[in-house]
Amino acid sequence: MTEQNDKNLERREFLIRTGKAGIAIAAAGAASYLLYDKKNPAQNAEPENIVTLPDFSVPHVQEQSLSIVKGSDRTKTVAKAIELLGGIERFVKPGDTVAIKPNVAFASPPMLGATTNPDLVAEVIKLCYKAGAKKVIVTDNPINEPAGCFAISGIGKAVANVGGEIVLPKSNYFKNTTLAGGTLIKDWPILYEPFSKANKLIGIAPVKNHHRSGASMAMKNWYGLLGGRRNIFHQDINTIIAELAIMVKPTLVILDGTEVMMTNGPTGGSLSDLKRTNTLIAGCDMVAADSYACGLLDIKVSDLPCLAKAAAAGAGTTDYQSLKPMLAEVS
Amino acid sequence: MISSVNRAKNLESVISFCILAILAAIATGIFIRQAHTGEKELIDFSKITPAVFQAASETKVYNAENLYEKIDGKAPLYTESGFEKLYTRRFASPADPNLAMELYLFDMGNIRNAFSVYSLQRRADAETLPDFTFAYKTSNALYLVHGRYYAEIIGFSESTGLSKAILEVSQNIRNNIPIDKNAKIPELAFFPQENLIDGSTRFYLASAFGFEGLTNTFTAAYKIDDQTITAFFSKRPGKKDAETIAENYYNFLIANGGVAKTAGNKTFTGKVIEFDGAAEIIFMTGSFVGGIHEAENQQTAESIAAKLLNKLALIKQ
Repeated sequence: MTEQNDKNLERREFLIRTGKAGIAIAAAGAASYLLYDKKNPAQNAEPENIVTLPDFSVPHVQEQSLSIVKGSDRTKTVAKAIELLGGIERFVKPGDTVAIKPNVAFASPPMLGATTNPDLVAEVIKLCYKAGAKKVIVTDNPINEPAGCFAISGIGKAVANVGGEIVLPKSNYFKNTTLAGGTLIKDWPILYEPFSKANKLIGIAPVKNHHRSGASMAMKNWYGLLGGRRNIFHQDINTIIAELAIMVKPTLVILDGTEVMMTNGPTGGSLSDLKRTNTLIAGCDMVAADSYACGLLDIKVSDLPCLAKAAAAGAGTTDYQSLKPMLAEVS
Repeated sequence: MISSVNRAKNLESVISFCILAILAAIATGIFIRQAHTGEKELIDFSKITPAVFQAASETKVYNAENLYEKIDGKAPLYTESGFEKLYTRRFASPADPNLAMELYLFDMGNIRNAFSVYSLQRRADAETLPDFTFAYKTSNALYLVHGRYYAEIIGFSESTGLSKAILEVSQNIRNNIPIDKNAKIPELAFFPQENLIDGSTRFYLASAFGFEGLTNTFTAAYKIDDQTITAFFSKRPGKKDAETIAENYYNFLIANGGVAKTAGNKTFTGKVIEFDGAAEIIFMTGSFVGGIHEAENQQTAESIAAKLLNKLALIKQ
């Protein structure tokens, strides 16, 4: 009798506990269902929290979209390249605030070519002021030691010498953005604040080999705008470069192929990684500029899938010859 | 009733203690591992600093999670090759700030991984340093493998004084960082030595020649009659795996536009494919898959392939 009662009670106890567990699971499920955010975070976010980079581009001028200048002196080649596009006055008006985005990704000396050449940055700043710019700021988001990167690359000193202003990234300078139609840039932080105060944007990048993407040039230069743990984009590097080329609409891009990092990019390290090709490219179409520069790296346009992706999305053309580039040589 | 409830409570207590014991064991394991990791970080950089230089930065340590903060797009090269840690430090001459350098010391876990990243980045026109097993220098930098470590010593300018200091750093690394001196890479001796280009051996941990199946692949370049020919081999876990890889690689080349050709040497057992205007050869012997990659001349390629095949066939497996 007692044994029978024990069994009944065990069964009862079992049913009670099962019931309690069932209620707990149901409650957790219901709570999850009620709290589940069915909307994309970007769509759900308050509009003021999501920013869009301004369109910095200038009106198109037929047959003045791309210039290629041969020569070893960057200060001369860049001046000539811009002159061929209609002069700096086409791009910078009196009173403008110009933001310059060089590649300052590494704390590396200028001679190694891993960062934008400081003399080139300084010359462009001088041209901007000559055209009447009110202010020229220079900014980038090197993840590691921004101040050290600007100092060792020589860009910090070069900018200061010609009256430019270095803007080092701070956490509150980053705002989230979403690229319409993008697959990777969704509610992602970008360096925004310095650009929100500018009305012109000039990208200046060196031509480099890149272990992951094949090359780092004008389009890849915008990678420096990304905040957060941006290394996750290395898994889909071509898409992120193409999306950046769609997201950023610069006034002008300058691509420095005076000395090209042919191997072991993007960091390089040895002077033997570099090859002198004495070419400077300037233009309004960064896809075309990068496509031309493939030749400097001894690669084909088809070797860089990001170019076709960006072109297909309307960011520019890989057929740079169709733009009838302006050519010159300076000694 | 009371006895059954007590039994249930006792059982629950036992289960609870078991769970707590497992958690405690996990915590102890994590603690031990972290303590062990801490020991490995104790590299005395004061012993690496060259005599007339001083440290120009703190020693910074990066792991696989934050390596990209230092080397950005090149991080996958290391993280996909067994990377464990990177130590960096800058040195500069107090007398002349232009005499500066930065040391990148990568802990790659073992000598094979270290050799892989070293060999894949080797500069073509570099000068091999005979005092090291694997080391070369360029006009401003020096690169070496020291056991599980791969080191890059990058000079910030070109000068005789800086070159001497860079060499001193490399010697200090060799003399002061303890390693397993028995760690070797025996496969490097498997290539025939005749016409082998010095310093041309590479080691691909993954995807040699763009083919995913060719893992753990050694390559070496030969110079014959102004032609440079790349030979390769990969030691597989067994004969069957070697057969599969050889067949898959052959099919991969054919699927991508390769055309099967007849070997000029009728006794040669490998397969010859014309691919993009160049000769590709694939053979297998024992648990080795080997061959030739992108040769201009099929006859020369077959000659090198035959020598490599014969040498691999003699290796005890």
